[in-house]
Amino acid sequence: MTAAAVLDPIGLTGTIARGRMTTFADPDEELVRRVGRGDPAAIQALVARKLPRMLALAQRMLGDPVEAEDVAQEAMTRAWRQAPRWIPGQARFDTWLHRVGLNLCYDRLRRRREIPSDLLPDRPDEGPAPDRGLIAADVGVAVNAALARLPDRQREAIVLCHYQELTNIEAAALMQVSIEALESLLSRGRRALRLALVDHRPGTEGA
Amino acid sequence: MTAERFLALLAAYGADRRRWPDDERATAEAFAANNPDLVRPSLVEADDLDALLQRSPTPQVSRDLRDRVLAAAVSTGGQARRAGQMWIDRLTLAFGAGWAAAACAGVVAGVVLTGHMTANAEADALLYQATLLSVDDMEVLG
Repeated sequence: MTAAAVLDPIGLTGTIARGRMTTFADPDEELVRRVGRGDPAAIQALVARKLPRMLALAQRMLGDPVEAEDVAQEAMTRAWRQAPRWIPGQARFDTWLHRVGLNLCYDRLRRRREIPSDLLPDRPDEGPAPDRGLIAADVGVAVNAALARLPDRQREAIVLCHYQELTNIEAAALMQVSIEALESLLSRGRRALRLALVDHRPGTEGA
Repeated sequence: MTAERFLALLAAYGADRRRWPDDERATAEAFAANNPDLVRPSLVEADDLDALLQRSPTPQVSRDLRDRVLAAAVSTGGQARRAGQMWIDRLTLAFGAGWAAAACAGVVAGVVLTGHMTANAEADALLYQATLLSVDDMEVLG
């Protein structure tokens, strides 16, 4: 991999050059610089700021808390390696870290598909429970189950835009798709979620 | 903005205008304000789904995970230093002596802090604890 590719793994520089985004400020720039110098308080601050985001990203992409912790830890380890050589202005650090986290998630999703299903450990049934009232009482579980059933790219788009609160430009750059393609993934994902969660709409819970 | 585009925005980004594209937010807000009856059903539907999605529980970082990540910072800093890269001088100074003391005596006798680290004592203590976690049991127990 070239040095440029390492520093700009998501092609954000190209996005900027094409004029879709003229400037950006990186709120993590100063913190990353201090981490690169080995400032213990900065390291702790970066953990507080980024570890919950990486854990949430991985949890919603993978639906498995143990794997999510592994991914979050590995992403942060790569952040420690990257910090001393981080060059400000190439990309936002948060966006770069999301690219790392997503790559790790996709590695695991690929591995799951390659392993024969009879060799996989038992996973909780993500389908609707026979007791509709019980599942209505735990909407969060139902939402996570519906997210897990989405195609990977639709789930990724929704996780990035809705939960991780990235802008459409950041999410499209991360996913290496156009804004139009991102919006198509988002729309299809939201439509599928609406159908999957139809029993949980306000006013229907516990019905 | 056309009605078609406004509805496409809702379908993709939901009802929370903070998630709408920066370059279309103002015009979309103006469209909604000027066409309340037209947009209301779609806004309500999108808002309902947004509210449901927010019910997905956010995972909490466990103390164990946090300690492992902090330990990785120390370990990675050491590796980078050996490779000749500039990295974590203060961590090495701060934790080197404490780590050795713990390995020999199994007791936390103190941490050697540089002058400007004292202001960050709490963070340092956490990181010091993280270094202890990374010591091989056999190293400590002999």
